[in-house]
Amino acid sequence: MTAGGGPSDAEAIAQVLAGDVEAFGVLITRYENGLLRFATRMLGSRDAAADAVAEGLVRAYRHLATCRDPARFRTWVYRIVANRCKSHLARRPIGDVSLDDVPPVAAPEDAGEGLERSEQLERLERALARLAPEKREAFVLKHLDGMSYEEMSVVTGARIPTLKMRVHRAREALLAALKESP
Amino acid sequence: MTPLLLLLLLLPQQNDGRLAEHVPAAALPGVHAIITRAAQDSLPTEPLVEKALEGGAKGASPEMIVTAVGAEEARLRNARDLLRRAGAPGPYGTRELQSVSLALARGLPDRIVAEVVGSVKDTTPGFALHAVADLTAHGFGADSSAALIVAALGSGLSGQRLLDVAAAADRELQRGSTRPQALARVRSILPAVPSQPLPPGAMQGATRPKRSP
Amino acid sequence: MIHDLDPRIHGALDGELDRAALTPDERALVERLDAAARALSGTPVVPGLSRRVMGIIRRPLASPVARFRRWLTSPQPVTLSLRPVYSLVIVALAVVLWRGPVPAPMLGAHEGVAQFVARFPEAHSVAVVGAFNDWRPEATPLADDDHDGVWDARVILPAGQHEYMFVVDGERWVSDPLAGRYVDDGFGRQNAVLVVRPVRSE
Repeated sequence: MTAGGGPSDAEAIAQVLAGDVEAFGVLITRYENGLLRFATRMLGSRDAAADAVAEGLVRAYRHLATCRDPARFRTWVYRIVANRCKSHLARRPIGDVSLDDVPPVAAPEDAGEGLERSEQLERLERALARLAPEKREAFVLKHLDGMSYEEMSVVTGARIPTLKMRVHRAREALLAALKESP
Repeated sequence: MTPLLLLLLLLPQQNDGRLAEHVPAAALPGVHAIITRAAQDSLPTEPLVEKALEGGAKGASPEMIVTAVGAEEARLRNARDLLRRAGAPGPYGTRELQSVSLALARGLPDRIVAEVVGSVKDTTPGFALHAVADLTAHGFGADSSAALIVAALGSGLSGQRLLDVAAAADRELQRGSTRPQALARVRSILPAVPSQPLPPGAMQGATRPKRSP
Repeated sequence: MIHDLDPRIHGALDGELDRAALTPDERALVERLDAAARALSGTPVVPGLSRRVMGIIRRPLASPVARFRRWLTSPQPVTLSLRPVYSLVIVALAVVLWRGPVPAPMLGAHEGVAQFVARFPEAHSVAVVGAFNDWRPEATPLADDDHDGVWDARVILPAGQHEYMFVVDGERWVSDPLAGRYVDDGFGRQNAVLVVRPVRSE
């Protein structure tokens, strides 16, 4: 059991592998928000992100038996979705509109506080979108998903020093974006 | 002479962009020489440009590219000679030369190609030649394959319907007939071999390929 | 203009340096980045994602059409019953049965539709190359929308013969195993040969 109630990842996986398809729903609910946020930042579009996350989750279900360490399901499913995002990015035709031209990602809905879109957020989003995909991925995993460098290494397949360099460069780019005059 | 000179001046420049961009520089003089020679002899040059682009895309060495383009030119020349000997009415279009060239490259002997070409009266020989080559690919002898297609032509079939003839013979094989039985069975039902039209909706989502600028 | 941040700031953000050890200016930058991360942390709402995924995984893995398509495209000994030479049309039929309606393009009198199908389960991208696109892998990608490792594309081409190959992951050149017709390319490989039928009968 987890602190928030419901089976642990390892328990849910065991149930799915024993034939209880519905138990996979627990894992979807637990990770869909984080995965969607990650994919949206990577692809610049909510719809493309929904596709990548859905594809990734289906693939995770179909390959669940190969998840060697059920306790690390989170990094495993992130890795699958990160690869889906790379696939989507690779498929974009050359000469497609650059991310600079894409309107910023739709403002996150926060029904409780009615969060307003600020110019600063737009600048941040554009700066994030302008980063090379591997730097953007590293920043999102570190700062939005709160992963350790060890976990990020599992998700991306990159070495920790490489990931640190990417995160550092991403931070500098975002700070520079904040300093730019409007 | 003037139109030929103009042609010689224009041709390399038209293709210069694509070749210069996608073919290693060391191959260009050799490739251009072959293309010029082909143009002088009224052979089509686009297949030669395409062969050079293919070599560039596949990362072939400059020597290999020049050799392959030269071989392509020789095949086109051979195809044209064959068509002339078979009495096919000229002038011969690029597609016609290419279909003969490819049939030869697929392993059909010269005399079989000549026989089929001689039997195709109103249309270009491409489909007929491919039908014969398809039959030989399924293990039917070249002579009996050509004989079946010639019989099909005689029964009024032409164009893509000839591919249906080859497919029908192959289906007979799958049903357990020997090769002679299969050929005899198909010949007996000519021209009523089943056709294979594209199913409705098969075009949905189809796109045209992007070519180089 | 991007400025290098002091490594101490990176260290603090990476949890390797105590923030209390930072100068006020350094701490201000750390807090700015924290705030930036919080601002970017909004989660886009995609209602129905869970339902969509569960709907897919609850379905039996292979519909009859998908099973047929998978049988058609998995490696078979040459002697099996369905020959590749005319599998083209049958694959087109199978594709039609599960794709939703999409506007059909207008074809010229001497054009047809080429259906390219290939099975590359571990691939990230598959493209078809031939003279029709100047042998450029970026021009004509195949798609694997349901991620079952079977890639396909429908391309309008002039009726007649076309030599082609597949390019996997942008770098591996592969002859189409289903083609049934091959020819040496002059570069040590074999091109597959496709004969496109005109859509309108002659």
